[in-house]
Amino acid sequence: MTNSVAELENSACIFVIGSNTTSSHPLVATRIFRAKQKGAKLIVADPRKIQLALMADTYVRQNLGTDVALINGIMHVILDRGWQDQGFIEERTEGFETVKEKVRSYTPEKVSGITGIPEEDIVKIAEDFGTAQTASIVYCMGITQHVTGVDNVKSLANLAMLTGNVGKESTGVNPLRGQNNVQGACDMGGLPNVYPGYQAVNMLDNQKKFESIWGTDLSDQVGRTVSDMLGGLSDGSLKALYVMGENPMLSDPDTAHVEKALKAAELLVVQDIFFTPTAELAHVVLPGSSFAEKDGTFTNTERRVMRVRKAIEPVGDSRPDWQIIQEISNRLGYSMDYDSPEAILKEIAEVTPSYSGITYERLEGEGLQWPCPDEGHPGTKFLHKDAFARGKGLFHAIDFKPPAESVDANYPFWLTTGRIHVHYHTGTMTRNSPTLHSEVPEGSLEINPGDAGQLGIREGDEVEVSSRRGKIRTKTVLTERVKEGLVFMPFHFVESNANALTNPALDPIAKIPELKVCAVRVEKAA
Amino acid sequence: MIDEVKKRVKELLDSGEIKGFLGLRDMHGHVGPHLFHEESDLETMVLGDGKRPGDSRYPLNKQLIHLARCYPDDTMGVLVRGCDERGLKTLATWNQINSGKVISVGIPCPQELARACECLRPYPDDFVGGEKVEGCAHGSVRQVDDMDLAARFDHWMKEFEKCIKCYGCRDICPMCFCKECSLESNELIRTGEIPPEMPVFHLTRAVHMAGRCIDCGLCNEACPADIPLRTLYKKVADIIDEEFHYRPGYVADQKSPLNILSHTGAE
Repeated sequence: MTNSVAELENSACIFVIGSNTTSSHPLVATRIFRAKQKGAKLIVADPRKIQLALMADTYVRQNLGTDVALINGIMHVILDRGWQDQGFIEERTEGFETVKEKVRSYTPEKVSGITGIPEEDIVKIAEDFGTAQTASIVYCMGITQHVTGVDNVKSLANLAMLTGNVGKESTGVNPLRGQNNVQGACDMGGLPNVYPGYQAVNMLDNQKKFESIWGTDLSDQVGRTVSDMLGGLSDGSLKALYVMGENPMLSDPDTAHVEKALKAAELLVVQDIFFTPTAELAHVVLPGSSFAEKDGTFTNTERRVMRVRKAIEPVGDSRPDWQIIQEISNRLGYSMDYDSPEAILKEIAEVTPSYSGITYERLEGEGLQWPCPDEGHPGTKFLHKDAFARGKGLFHAIDFKPPAESVDANYPFWLTTGRIHVHYHTGTMTRNSPTLHSEVPEGSLEINPGDAGQLGIREGDEVEVSSRRGKIRTKTVLTERVKEGLVFMPFHFVESNANALTNPALDPIAKIPELKVCAVRVEKAA
Repeated sequence: MIDEVKKRVKELLDSGEIKGFLGLRDMHGHVGPHLFHEESDLETMVLGDGKRPGDSRYPLNKQLIHLARCYPDDTMGVLVRGCDERGLKTLATWNQINSGKVISVGIPCPQELARACECLRPYPDDFVGGEKVEGCAHGSVRQVDDMDLAARFDHWMKEFEKCIKCYGCRDICPMCFCKECSLESNELIRTGEIPPEMPVFHLTRAVHMAGRCIDCGLCNEACPADIPLRTLYKKVADIIDEEFHYRPGYVADQKSPLNILSHTGAE
């Protein structure tokens, strides 16, 4: 997030797109509720009529994968009415003219045709967002899990810069990170192209710096993304895979393909706290320990580094992840001898400029938000205050491109996937919780009552859902949450695995798969 | 006031009158419950005043029930404000604690907290220090009562619409001790959806709070959707007071009139 969670409370306008915030990030939703209470305008754009839509000033349901068109349309109206922040555009950004030129053709009429959103709603969104004193954008996987994921995010950045809503309190472009520590994992270089603190691996200065600190030779090549790794297993260019705390047998698209790839590995190691479907395929399973069994830090969605403290000793033979990794590294011949997570944090501070001022002592209480470059620095509430990392903010002129797969006579329904409030991701943890399990014990397909009627399907009926990649069985929930022609499935449930159906088509830059759009057929089960 | 509390706890521990004292402590910049059983421990004790008086309270009675089940023969001390003491008295009438095995150490609430809570009785019967302040009327209830019926219904439905069904209100409630909870029953309230079935989810809980809620307000503080639950339960308590002249925990050993009306006793 460019800004902090609590800042949302004081925003005059909040635009939530592709985030089912009350289900997946309820404490962020708290701040949205409070902003609303204080009179903020709430705009919600989501193909499903999610809980937040019930209290929105404007709720629109865009056709799947049409976000770029919607955002261009909003920018078109803002420019048409002169609601842009010309001062900000001139002082802080470049490339504005290209965007201005690009969105000229995205008239409300054209955008309405692409997105299925009424023209007057596009104008209303532009007015509420464009004329607000402070406006915040909140987004999540509904924006990123598309072949145009990068385009979608850049479009939101365009909108924020166009209206001067970045680098100020209660504004910003705010992605909600899905896991408690996914921000931390990225910060630590858990990505193929960067060292800790987003220092590029293919820059010689960085390579030399880490070679000298770690006392070993390092590659100057960018590594593989997850999708490239699976491809590598299939084509034999990758022999071994070490999976930590991830369950690609449920979380990755096109499960049949994933299974084939994982089975091709000469060595598959899975480290997790429960025995997942991915672990079932592993040659070696290493038992990790849960949050309650270890010390360390987590870095949350607002870049806040916080302590996690051990409440109980690790159960059974499990060990904290850092001990397992250290032991494996030692046996593979690269010596590590950290005596505690604190010793690791000290090294993090040494090699990561944005973490330099962070120590265990300073993390007592509420933690610190990076960048925190030295020990006297109070941490950073919001980013890009006086300048962007590259100097001026760069506008990107972006055209709408349709999703990789479209509905046709064989697969006439659009399928989108997501989470439900009691379960988390592949259910590795939440489906092991009896209370959460009893709240929602099984998966389902949300279908509009009109469509269900056409198919002769009643509430609770068993259906077969198939795509070009696979077929699953599940029960139906008839609901107006989805419009006709659209169906929804949560992806938590292995016995009705939504990702057996989803499309592995990738965004060309980020290599993120289009988990949020594919075409399916729905039939009453025999 | 903290010094008076520590002094009293030290006396109780030294004399062996209590096995341990359930209070609050500050650890790593966070306030949480703690069972004090050694004098050296007492240094970390706090009364739960963070940024504002009493903003870091805790359902200590809930822990106390748990402790009492584990150590039925031991006497425990517990920190109480006015609401907590009402809780102790009421829990005793529901046979959840044995009042002979509990020694409370009371503190009165300051005016600021009493006002924020709209607490009718912001002090326990006995307290070790400080001064008691006057109770405050239920202004928030009157505000809702002043609306006409349609506006009132609309007001509550808008609030319930925000509910994310986290069960925080129930889980933090020192008076929620049932082994089976109606809120989880699919037969009564459809499970698996947010917001949970409106308004039946919240009204079911409100009905169960009748004759039981001691108005500590922790539900309201815990609610991540800022639903003014306390106002709802205050209204329920006002109705019980009007109809039966009963407020939970005001008089020791006085049972809820709803207990007497029921066929089966508890629940």
